[in-house]
Amino acid sequence: MAQSMIAVYVQTDGSMVEPTSLQLITKARAIANGQRVVALLPTSDADQTVATVKQYGPDEILVLADDRFAAATDTEIADGLYQVVEQVQPNSMLIPATVVGRSVAPRLQAKLQTGLTADCLDVYFDGDTLVQVKPTYGDDIMCEIICADRRPQMATVRPNVFQAEPAQAATQVTNVDFEFHPEAHIKMEKPTPIISSSANISDASVVIALGRGADNPQLIEKAQKLAARLGGMVGVSRPLTDHAEFGHESQIGQSGQSIAPDLLINFGISGATQYLVGIENAKTIVSVNTDPDAPIFTKSDYAYVGDANDFMDALLSSTRV
Amino acid sequence: MENQEKMAASMLHRMVREFTENELAPLDMEIDAQGDYPQGLFQKVIDNGLLTMTLPREYGGAGFSYDSVAKAIHLMAIGNASMAVTLEGHFKTLEQLLKYGDQRLKDEYLTSAAHRIFAFSQTESSGGSNPRGIATRAVKSGDDWIITGDKIMITNGGLAQVYCVLAKTEDDQMAVFVVDQDMPGFSFGKREDFIGLRGTPVGEIVMDHIKVPGYHLLGQIGQGLEIGNNAHDDARILMGAVLTGIMEHELQIAVDYSKQRKALDTPLYELQTIQEKISEIAIARQNTELLYQHAAQLKITGQSYAQVAAMAKSYGSRAAVRCGDMALQVLAGYGYSREYPIEHLIRDARAMEIAEGTVERMSGEIALKQVNQ
Amino acid sequence: MKIVVCIKQVPKSDSVKIDPKTNNMVRDNVEGVINPFDKNAIEEALRIKDQLGGEVILLSMGPDGYMSSLRDGLAMGADRAILLSSRAFGGADTLATGYPISQAIKKIGGVDLVLLGRQSVDADTGQVGPIVAEYLNVPQVTFAEELRFVDEHTLYGQRLLDGATQSVQVTLPAVVMVRSELNTPRYETPVNIQTSFEKPIDVWTEHDLDLDATRIGQAGSPTTVQKVYAPKREGRQTVQLSDDSATAVKELLARIRN
Repeated sequence: MAQSMIAVYVQTDGSMVEPTSLQLITKARAIANGQRVVALLPTSDADQTVATVKQYGPDEILVLADDRFAAATDTEIADGLYQVVEQVQPNSMLIPATVVGRSVAPRLQAKLQTGLTADCLDVYFDGDTLVQVKPTYGDDIMCEIICADRRPQMATVRPNVFQAEPAQAATQVTNVDFEFHPEAHIKMEKPTPIISSSANISDASVVIALGRGADNPQLIEKAQKLAARLGGMVGVSRPLTDHAEFGHESQIGQSGQSIAPDLLINFGISGATQYLVGIENAKTIVSVNTDPDAPIFTKSDYAYVGDANDFMDALLSSTRV
Repeated sequence: MENQEKMAASMLHRMVREFTENELAPLDMEIDAQGDYPQGLFQKVIDNGLLTMTLPREYGGAGFSYDSVAKAIHLMAIGNASMAVTLEGHFKTLEQLLKYGDQRLKDEYLTSAAHRIFAFSQTESSGGSNPRGIATRAVKSGDDWIITGDKIMITNGGLAQVYCVLAKTEDDQMAVFVVDQDMPGFSFGKREDFIGLRGTPVGEIVMDHIKVPGYHLLGQIGQGLEIGNNAHDDARILMGAVLTGIMEHELQIAVDYSKQRKALDTPLYELQTIQEKISEIAIARQNTELLYQHAAQLKITGQSYAQVAAMAKSYGSRAAVRCGDMALQVLAGYGYSREYPIEHLIRDARAMEIAEGTVERMSGEIALKQVNQ
Repeated sequence: MKIVVCIKQVPKSDSVKIDPKTNNMVRDNVEGVINPFDKNAIEEALRIKDQLGGEVILLSMGPDGYMSSLRDGLAMGADRAILLSSRAFGGADTLATGYPISQAIKKIGGVDLVLLGRQSVDADTGQVGPIVAEYLNVPQVTFAEELRFVDEHTLYGQRLLDGATQSVQVTLPAVVMVRSELNTPRYETPVNIQTSFEKPIDVWTEHDLDLDATRIGQAGSPTTVQKVYAPKREGRQTVQLSDDSATAVKELLARIRN
């Protein structure tokens, strides 16, 4: 019997490699335990993409070279992968849970008549079985899914849960035989990158929030400076929406935006329920308030009882670039 | 069939809850501060068919039973009491057209009730809902009536397009006529600047020799007081529902705050003085709900409901004001702040100790009923 | 224009439980609602119907209790509904769901457009759409944030990729999966709620469809859930920072940089 294989679908937009694909190569190598890690690479620019993928040390790269992969449809990609998977019969297959990955994978799954688990946060082997760990119903419940009898065992894996690490390996590069079948009745354009993702506080990774206790022009200006330095945005509680610079889109809370930043720093916010609802998903919450009994503190990881201005100045001076 | 009615009612209630949470509750504070509905909001209420809830299917309505609609009003009032009262004013008026209207009048007017507001007007500057001092005159002219007079403090006055008007005939008999804002001689007067329910327009209409066709008379000449009282009864059921919603809002605020706020290291809700306030609000809310639901049940089963409807409004309005005060005390300084809606909930509830008959008048009605039983 | 909207009933998020024996989510006695993304699909179908005329048919697979979400879709304005319901369909994963759904679409016949939400909020898979497209052998547009008809048979769409947008034009029939940015679903109206009870919900079992019995239900499902658990969540332990602001910021930065 041939050596067992983990295949990784490497997504490209023709010439650029999508980063999750590389993360999955690293992950596959980590759990391989003797299995070959093979990158399946549909590409319109073999030279450049092969060079990139090589740096992450898969045992083999199977190249599906065709200019039309610069703007291929989901169906065309699935069809190409299907032809290769049929040839090499991998034990399992990892696919980035990107939009393209999540669109291609089920079509491929239907062709292969096998199982597929979407949006995994982890995968590991239990013997020959790929255990696929995924959240269900938000992130409140996790489940482990297996595909006992059919092969390959397919999973899409969420971007950025694993780090891509460059690795040395004697990577074999093979141009595979396949036929590009152009799909009828559909015309797909090359993707257009979104230049500046129109800033939305609900997507911000750092939020500096101001409440009534921080309602003065100097503090607002400093908050904006701090937010700019941390690559974040300024949000406000309801009382500050009267200011011209803060509209409804800056308001945090039940009647405004729900936010989920990695870091939230609250200045002068007491913590009305309607505000607290909007910050439930923030990872780390720091709150500054003069009132030691302010409700906001019960929802905070770090509490500073004192003057907002002092704390802001201290933050600004220690984050100076 | 009964099951279907239940399912439809629960769909209605979920729809109203969603509409309230998405469209009304976020604007609650703004509506109070501006003293009006924001541009386009009332159109949304119309576009989503909320004026059709009680209207029978044959007039293009949804034909929900009065108890289901009362519950819908209750749910809406949790998010915004003003809009709930606007709908209350519309529905109580439609009830009178349905019960007392000529078929021709119903065919002509009720088919427009999905997108036009109907209002009931009794009060004049001579005083309260006291019908004795009515100065509005209806003079017979062939098959028509000529109506002249001035009505004030009309719920939805200015917003409504169709008005039921209580008037006196030449031989001093009371009667109710349906007047359309498009009739020559009709004009709007001033809008009241009330301290509560500030979204609900309350205003004045002026009628200068309006010619009204004979079939616009509701019921018979001399039935005016009965129709006016019936309108009060129907309104009071829905006001009980509005008050239940207000108390539910008060309860939510007090409960949420008592859970997140600590006195020293103890959450507020563990303190007996706080528990007492929360339980009193909860009991009063529940009582008012039972009262308005019971009154609605009596109405839809054809029994006498005036007494229980009066209890729902009288008890509920006093309770909602008192519960607002208790909720305010739970939040202490925050409760006294305009950042929290409690102060405006108290002002909103206060309106209903007066509108559709004062609580004092209601006490009189309830007591006399007991004495004369 | 004949449009099929595939919808899924999902439990309301705060009422989900796990059966410790079967490791399945308990959906009995749990209030079910239409998967929120599917409401965007229904809304889009209704808008297309308003523009081009035609019929909007809802299609779902699940137990009788799923009628309530189909009723909700009818109350939004869809014309009729079909529920694939039978013990034989029970325990299906995405593969064993996509197959009978696609067979049902073939049976409905003459379908121009199949719309779905981008994914369900419970299982979060987003797989049924592409599987159905594969079985129907038609093009797919996933994650559509914009759609418009170029002419009666040609649909222009824009899909949102990770950090990019992509334009696509398809000739019908096609399968389209929509994002919530596409539209705001309408409310059910009181009148539509009442008329929803006058619209038909047909129930189809495995006997009503041309099916390979080995490809449906639990037996036709390659995947199994072997374990379900609630990840441990730590409540917030509040760390009190020093009174002096400079010291406090130092403490804070030292901790959050770890």
